[in-house]
Amino acid sequence: MRARIDRRVLLRAALVLVVAAIAITVVLTLAGPAGATAEVDVTSEPGTNRVAQNFFNGVVFGLLLALASVGLSLIYGTTGLSNFAHGEQVSLGAMLAYFLATQQPVSIPLIPVEFTIGLPLWLAAIIAIVLAGGSGWLQDRFLWSKLRKRRVGVVQQMIVSIGLSLALLNFLQWWIGPDRVRLSRAIEERHQIGPIQLGSITAMSIVISVVVLLGVGYFLMRTRLGRATRAVSDNPALAAASGIKVDAIIRLVWVMAASLAALGGILMALYDSGTKFDVGARLLLLMFAAVTLGGLGQPFGALVGSLVIGIVVETSTLWLGPDLKYATALGILILVLLVRPQGILGRAERVG
Amino acid sequence: MTDTDPFAHVPHEPGAPKKDPIVTADNVHRHFGGLTAVEVDHFEVQRGAITALIGPNGAGKSTFFNLLTGFDKPQSGEWLFNGHSLKGVSPAAVARAGKVRTFQLTKALSRMTVIENMRLGASRQRGENFFAAFVPKLWAQREEEITAQAHVLLKRFKLYEKKDDYAGSLSGGQRKLLEMARALMSEPEMVMLDEPMAGVNPALTESLLDHIVELKNEGVTVLFVEHDMHMVRRISDWVVVMAEGRIIAEGPPSTVMQNEEVQAAYLGVHHDTDLSEEGPA
Amino acid sequence: MDLLFDLLREAIAPTTAAFALAAIGLNFHFGLTGLLNMGQAGFMLLGMYGYAITVREGGPIWLGIIVAIACAAVFGVILGWPTLKLRGDYLAIVTIAAAEMIRYLGRSQNLNDLTGASTGIRGNDFKGSFEELSPFPDSMVTIGPFTFHGTRSTSWWLVLVGWTLVGLMVLLYWRLSKSPWGRVLKGIREDEDAVRSLGKNVYSYKMQALVIGGVIGALAGIVWSLGASVQPDSMGRPTTFWVWTLLLLGGAATVFGPVLGSILFWCSLVLVKGLASAFIPTTVLSSQQLEPFSLALVGVTLMCLVIFRPQGVLGDKKELAFND
Repeated sequence: MRARIDRRVLLRAALVLVVAAIAITVVLTLAGPAGATAEVDVTSEPGTNRVAQNFFNGVVFGLLLALASVGLSLIYGTTGLSNFAHGEQVSLGAMLAYFLATQQPVSIPLIPVEFTIGLPLWLAAIIAIVLAGGSGWLQDRFLWSKLRKRRVGVVQQMIVSIGLSLALLNFLQWWIGPDRVRLSRAIEERHQIGPIQLGSITAMSIVISVVVLLGVGYFLMRTRLGRATRAVSDNPALAAASGIKVDAIIRLVWVMAASLAALGGILMALYDSGTKFDVGARLLLLMFAAVTLGGLGQPFGALVGSLVIGIVVETSTLWLGPDLKYATALGILILVLLVRPQGILGRAERVG
Repeated sequence: MTDTDPFAHVPHEPGAPKKDPIVTADNVHRHFGGLTAVEVDHFEVQRGAITALIGPNGAGKSTFFNLLTGFDKPQSGEWLFNGHSLKGVSPAAVARAGKVRTFQLTKALSRMTVIENMRLGASRQRGENFFAAFVPKLWAQREEEITAQAHVLLKRFKLYEKKDDYAGSLSGGQRKLLEMARALMSEPEMVMLDEPMAGVNPALTESLLDHIVELKNEGVTVLFVEHDMHMVRRISDWVVVMAEGRIIAEGPPSTVMQNEEVQAAYLGVHHDTDLSEEGPA
Repeated sequence: MDLLFDLLREAIAPTTAAFALAAIGLNFHFGLTGLLNMGQAGFMLLGMYGYAITVREGGPIWLGIIVAIACAAVFGVILGWPTLKLRGDYLAIVTIAAAEMIRYLGRSQNLNDLTGASTGIRGNDFKGSFEELSPFPDSMVTIGPFTFHGTRSTSWWLVLVGWTLVGLMVLLYWRLSKSPWGRVLKGIREDEDAVRSLGKNVYSYKMQALVIGGVIGALAGIVWSLGASVQPDSMGRPTTFWVWTLLLLGGAATVFGPVLGSILFWCSLVLVKGLASAFIPTTVLSSQQLEPFSLALVGVTLMCLVIFRPQGVLGDKKELAFND
């Protein structure tokens, strides 16, 4: 579904951004002098333009967010499920990588033995992604496919996913503990490129996420399996009738979504130089915002939506306190639902 | 038909004017993207008669039904009920004006009992106001009235024994009956039935047909969509044929199928997809 | 057996009453009308802010309650206005996002003077006038096996007020759900279009349900804050999810479901923690791990409930609150 982006759509998107900007300005004036809080920015070195830097940070954040939200969108597209446990998939990736890579002694819940694994980070990350992908497979094999077979409604499934999210979130806290942990002790080298600063690890994160996202795009557009996935997304009944194994496709989507989320969690942990058991839970609503913004169930929309959300979140700190940056993104989500419920790239569809 | 037949002088042509129209529609157009679903230039429904709306799959019958009842909005057009324009009027207000519809896929409220389904259909209930709901005195009497009314209707539709069962436990045909009975609770001037016979077993079909005729005898106008020509022939006074969104023929049931255009339409688009299903529900 | 007393104490604690209230509100949304409100904690937080700020600034109690109710009502209208015409899961996403926004705004440094940012509003700043009304003595009071303070925080006075409110709201739910008004809401839960075709203004009814349930949520917030303090982070998403869990546990669309669910929920938490700390050695499960362990079980319970017994303890299998 290569959405034809006509001028009206662009106009509306522009309108949304303008409205958002106005809304931010209004909140700014109402909230009083917030500039003071925003002033405390670590990147205030000479030659660095704060606007450019924040915009750039937003793009990076958006790319990392996209890794997670593309999966959320694929799951929604193929099964109709708004998966509230997707945030925990992000956390799971980061926690697994920490568990495998850290030099600190670690343990497994209910087994009172402490040990140190201490794998090199790249290996730990790969194993973590594979394990997380496996968790996606397990979930679909033993939970979601069963529910689909029993014809459990999507609302019910959504509440099951909320239960799963609660269980996983607390399990991760139980396992890794409530403190912030670091994946790598390495000090990031910073380079000045034009008006912005770029760390070496961040640069690598960008390369990895762009390559992976391009890979996902190629898979969806050019491969047989990818086309089958989009067919299931468009119309499961029709796809099944034309010989596509819908359940196998959905299983694949779960594995992909879980792996992508884990990758996103790991890169996010490096980018933020630290992570926590609830990192995904914090990101979940931003992912929903991104997915809704782009049009529910459309993977490319999720990418665009993530970039918009990333940029909004990071640039909003120019005007607002950093403790309001997520609130701004959620405000935009609500605004978009007002103006254009089918998202920026979504097809006009009568709802309700 | 007696000599007071309201259709005596009505010409057998699309958009024919009626003696005493309850519904009129002009230039109603509805497109989905590039597809034209409905393009009706002129349409009238005779008051107090049974009119059938037929046509091959994808003719736009259900979409037209949705447009007339406010469930869908056309890009252009004007349509009246009892002389009042219904343009931009919400489905609920259309129903309150006295034009009640049923659905092709039955919408029995499964987790409510049959009698509650019926009571919900009644109009002028003070107890449906949030504040009045606190004071049973204000609505207890109306509740008794509508319960009595519901009992009469349920007996007529042979659902009385089921009155305390959940609607979800009824058979497909019984749900159709319940939906029709529920629509009658508001004592409408006109009922619009979207494929009332679909999925109903033959034993029930007969009684359903009798109920529709009975409605007419009570003075209610009936407009219904149907595929089965046998049913149409048995009960309708007038038949309107749609194809590809337009009205292509009108006439009494005995002759309308002999119209060449009608036959061409039925043979021609046999395998076309049904727009009414492809358009968003 | 100390554990048994702890259980009974938990059963009558003000927190239990507050969550029962919040669940009664959610029952109007979900049980009666089928609305997916995932932001009940936001309504609760607004309620406590409305009350605590009004009273802190010297307003009388009745004004505080009115402000709390008004905040929740306005919030409901603003949320419902764009979303009640859309598909159900949009409401879920918007309510959860809006509730989180309230929390982010509440804990924002920009609003420090009003909301006390992330530290919130201390109990001493707003509880005074309520505690002065207490008919109980200003000391620890033992009634039967339980000892609570007479007036302060988690007190007999708050227990009395909290459960009286619960009683009133149960009565309210019973009255409304058995009225023609409640019938329309149930019809909407089953099939909006059918109700529309019968001449009812579905949008208006959904709005009424959203507002009334939210207002009850705000009252729950007041009761909760009077037992503790106003703390934005205690009203995050987990709180909403707990309310959902205990509503489904007790049985959605039933009169006593929310109350029973709340009691069962909090007692089971105490029970799990009590048993785990008694029987599992701390080398296996440290006291720090006890909390996440038991809350992980809550998540599993919610999943199992929805999958295996969606009607909850009190519900009728035939009148499930879920659509097929």
